[in-house]
Amino acid sequence: MAELLQYIITGLSVGMVYALIALGFALIWKSSSVANLALGQIVLISSWVTYATLAQAQFPVWLAFPLVILFALLLGWSIERFALRPLIAQPILALITVTLGIGYFIEGLVNFIWPWSVDALPRLFPREVVHIGPAVISQEYLWVVGICLMVFLLLTLFFRYHKMGIAMRATADDQMAVQACGIPVTKVFSRSWMFACVVAAIGGVLISSIGGITHGLVETGLKAFSVVILGGLDSFIGAMVAGPIIGLLETLGGGYLTPIIGWGGVKDIIPFVIIIVVMILKPYGLFGEVRIERI
Amino acid sequence: MSLPCGTRNYSYAEDMAILRTKTHWVFFIGFLALLYASPLYLGNYWLGVVNLIGITLVAATGLNILVGYCGQLSIGHAGFIALGAYTSAIVTNRMELPFLVGLIAAGLVAGVVGLIFGLPSIRVKGFYLAITTIAAQFIILWVINHWDSVTGGFVGIRAPYPSIAGFEFRTETSQFFLITTVAVITVFFAKNLARTRVGRAFIAVRDNDLAAEVMGINLLFYKLLAFFIGCFMAGIAGSLLAHWIGFINAEHFSLKESILYIGMIIIGGLGTTVGPIFGVVLIRLLQQTLTVQVVPFLEGTFDMMPSGFATGITPMLFGLVIILFLILEPRGLAHRWALFKAAYRLWPFSY
Repeated sequence: MAELLQYIITGLSVGMVYALIALGFALIWKSSSVANLALGQIVLISSWVTYATLAQAQFPVWLAFPLVILFALLLGWSIERFALRPLIAQPILALITVTLGIGYFIEGLVNFIWPWSVDALPRLFPREVVHIGPAVISQEYLWVVGICLMVFLLLTLFFRYHKMGIAMRATADDQMAVQACGIPVTKVFSRSWMFACVVAAIGGVLISSIGGITHGLVETGLKAFSVVILGGLDSFIGAMVAGPIIGLLETLGGGYLTPIIGWGGVKDIIPFVIIIVVMILKPYGLFGEVRIERI
Repeated sequence: MSLPCGTRNYSYAEDMAILRTKTHWVFFIGFLALLYASPLYLGNYWLGVVNLIGITLVAATGLNILVGYCGQLSIGHAGFIALGAYTSAIVTNRMELPFLVGLIAAGLVAGVVGLIFGLPSIRVKGFYLAITTIAAQFIILWVINHWDSVTGGFVGIRAPYPSIAGFEFRTETSQFFLITTVAVITVFFAKNLARTRVGRAFIAVRDNDLAAEVMGINLLFYKLLAFFIGCFMAGIAGSLLAHWIGFINAEHFSLKESILYIGMIIIGGLGTTVGPIFGVVLIRLLQQTLTVQVVPFLEGTFDMMPSGFATGITPMLFGLVIILFLILEPRGLAHRWALFKAAYRLWPFSY
């Protein structure tokens, strides 16, 4: 029983982080229909930048985090400006591959600057464990859930009330109409990339504060794709619902299936199996808009 | 394709010919002779590079049929190459069957698994398919890493030298003839496939699959056929790779390698037969010269190089090359080649 509760809580909180990273994907997809496959690498490099500010430069937390956010903003802006802007209106194949190229580049950059490739972030959250019923949970999971919920709330409010947020939703709906209304579409694209990178960076900091910084973070970014696939590509609610589901399935499956199958690392493969299953059964996800195509 | 000045077609056979003029034939046979004579003027090291290029070319040609002709984006190609490599190694090493059986089995296993992961392509495309194939790659590699009793797990598996009818391909030179022959056959097959009914159906599916379906093209059949052919070639390449390296593990088939394959066919030019050749040669030569010549030279000359320089510079450069090609020359080197040929034919007149 204690074990089950523990799995559920860790699964939910890890799933929340996946949902956060997935939101970063959905943001870009909604506004500009670009599939950002460099998400994992963005998560990776922002974790390393956090490491650089906190551990290498020894900045206090209040200075380090704004710096990381600033870095993510800059990263998003430059990706959009230098790689995606020249490719507007190109076929989807080019848009997908260019993000793969960006991912490749970022991974090389990370290898270049931090060649030892594995490290731990300094502790961000208090060390004491918490007792919930019979389960013993390390406190950072609860912090992660709290922070994720806060970011969700902020984003929802932003999209609901802020002028830019409304412009982004409008762009997602109909680019031509938006352009005719005088909304600068390129600016919307640029902003959505910046926002997406910030959200992915926050996700990266949270997940690496739990599991340390490894190359596995790239895979974490890819696991976030199972969230967007399950939730539906163009749905924010979908990402928020599917994230915890994926996290739960991952930890529960990892906990209970490993002894049955006898192969280690079942946990890491479950999101990918889910992708295949969803693809075959319900390709547009739980909340995704079913596209009807016309010639 | 425009014909050289003064050349006219008087029969359908002439119209269909790949090599139309005498000059074509001279260049073509000259090129083949030069290629097959390369053990005479290339050292063992460069012959190895040529072998790697040949193997990569087989896989890239398969990917080009799938992505370039049929428009089904696959980012899990290295996974299918891994399937072929392991199948061949298991068949020859554990079951002790002849190499040719392993080669064919490698192609078939990769092709059939490709069919399974290609199934979602009937309902989805673009990004969805890209994600499915990435997932396929992770699942394949995970199974390979954990099915210890058959694949050797994380340690890897040994693949014996290939042998056909008692002749063992032990040296780099003998392997060169094997690999190059397979590569030449593959390219020839791909070139002709594009000109058949099947190839034209692929192109129709790529350009607009809905319109293709309305015109009576069986989408399910042709999409799955493209997956089968593409993954079959990946399997063949995997088999050659396994027997060429001699010892394989999952490290050889990472997601990065898959992305590199996509990069190769983009740089070369999607949907052309010469494209993969250009792309593969460019990327593999860049890789070899960077890791073997340039980086050690730079590290030897400047003392204060950062320690991550060697591992970091190659992916950075490849990422940059892919991005720049997509932005500046999306039709790839094959387009440049076509322009060059057109200019050469008209020279010295510019009209």
